[in-house]
Amino acid sequence: MDTQVLYNILHQEAFGFNIAMYFYLTGLSAGSFILSTLAYGFGMNQYKSIGRVGVVLATLLLVIAPFFLLIHIGMPHRAWHLFVYLNMSSPITWGSFLLVLYPINCIIYGYFMFKEKMKQTRIFAFIGIPLAIAVHGYTGFILAFGKARALWNTALMPILFLASAIVSGIALMILVIIVKDRFFTKAKSINRDLILNLGKLLAWMIVFDLFLVGSDLLVLSISHSDAQTAAHLILVGKFSILFLVIENLLGKIIPFILLVVPRFRTLTTVVIASLLVVVGIFIMRYVVVLAGEFVPLL
Amino acid sequence: MKGKKKRLAVLVDLRKCIGCDACSLACKSENDVPLGVWRTWVKKVEKGQYPHSKEFFLPILCNNCENPICVTVCPVNAGIKRPDGIVYIDPHRCIGCRYCMASCPYGVRYIHPRRKIAEKCYWCHHRVDAGLEPACVQACPTDALLFGDMNDPESEISKVAAENAIQVIKPESGTDPHTFYIALDIDSVEAIKSEDK
Repeated sequence: MDTQVLYNILHQEAFGFNIAMYFYLTGLSAGSFILSTLAYGFGMNQYKSIGRVGVVLATLLLVIAPFFLLIHIGMPHRAWHLFVYLNMSSPITWGSFLLVLYPINCIIYGYFMFKEKMKQTRIFAFIGIPLAIAVHGYTGFILAFGKARALWNTALMPILFLASAIVSGIALMILVIIVKDRFFTKAKSINRDLILNLGKLLAWMIVFDLFLVGSDLLVLSISHSDAQTAAHLILVGKFSILFLVIENLLGKIIPFILLVVPRFRTLTTVVIASLLVVVGIFIMRYVVVLAGEFVPLL
Repeated sequence: MKGKKKRLAVLVDLRKCIGCDACSLACKSENDVPLGVWRTWVKKVEKGQYPHSKEFFLPILCNNCENPICVTVCPVNAGIKRPDGIVYIDPHRCIGCRYCMASCPYGVRYIHPRRKIAEKCYWCHHRVDAGLEPACVQACPTDALLFGDMNDPESEISKVAAENAIQVIKPESGTDPHTFYIALDIDSVEAIKSEDK
């Protein structure tokens, strides 16, 4: 039927850049934390040198992240309401506690790590892993509970967010380690094996992330009409360049090729791949948040 | 049916709606709704090709759902569902996080430009408590809007609802909306601006 909307009211979008940025930073933080527990929790000693960088990054990023929430909310001076008037069915309420507990745990874990007390470090590493998963997983639930929006309302959202968190965490870690080793150590030498090792880990996490994005898209494109509209929007609509070219081609597929093909396996390509991934995952957050609420509801 | 608790509802008879926007304006002045945002409005959709075309009107109000997702997700319990079914926002509680706006399937919520908190239509509960009808219902010149207790078999709204085919917008959202429509047109619900596709 030929229809034309003559008049309608569309209110301002609910979540914007600040929320995408917040998701991105908590993702980087959770990813860095989980990487730092590889050595200090699970005893993989080849990753020992990234432990300290990981915990510092995780803490710093998670201290910055909530400021984006304070900018986002209309009444920042009422933020204390979140800790007093609890609604346990709301993911934001879960998050307000996770956002307090997780950085505190990070600081304790980091303290013991820098004091070289391995036993205590290990305990707080294992307390921290579920917290890190929860602090980023809950952001997936925030979107998944937005049931009006087909792109958000999927049970895959938390795991999708966690996969991209680990991908972006590894990539950021590679970049930070290289900068640190090159400019802030006496030897000024880069641990090549470690970087290539992390590169391999990154490549296989990218595959997992691509698998999740692919399954999400496949189901969206044959599901109910709103879901099809959402799939259309990110595949051929206004968000297609951001989603297909920047997020998936430049942000995942090209880094994957750079990381797995033996001919390309040098420090430079690992750095390029990591840079692409770090940008690509930011675009992923941006596309998920903004494209999700792009299609008008009525 | 007797002894059931009160459940307020609005019934819009779209056969009677002439798209005059009296409801939108009455709401604006009653609730002091600021410029740029609306608690109730009339969506206008033209169907078909001239000369075989017709304009359809769809007054949009908050559905004051029975399972309001906005109340479920509000992190500070600012969204409150009253026993009679009206869903309202406590203006002193709301922190303006916009989660309710993100989750509402009907897009009826907005952020007040100056107060920075979420607001929406709550069927003028201050008027209802004083024994009056909501402003939009009272203003409607063709009596297309009906307001009353859906659970009271003697109320006009329950009689009209029983004798006519009624429908709600997006029943699949599972929120059990309580703004009902007679002669609801699927095209005028689903039509969105083509440039937004």
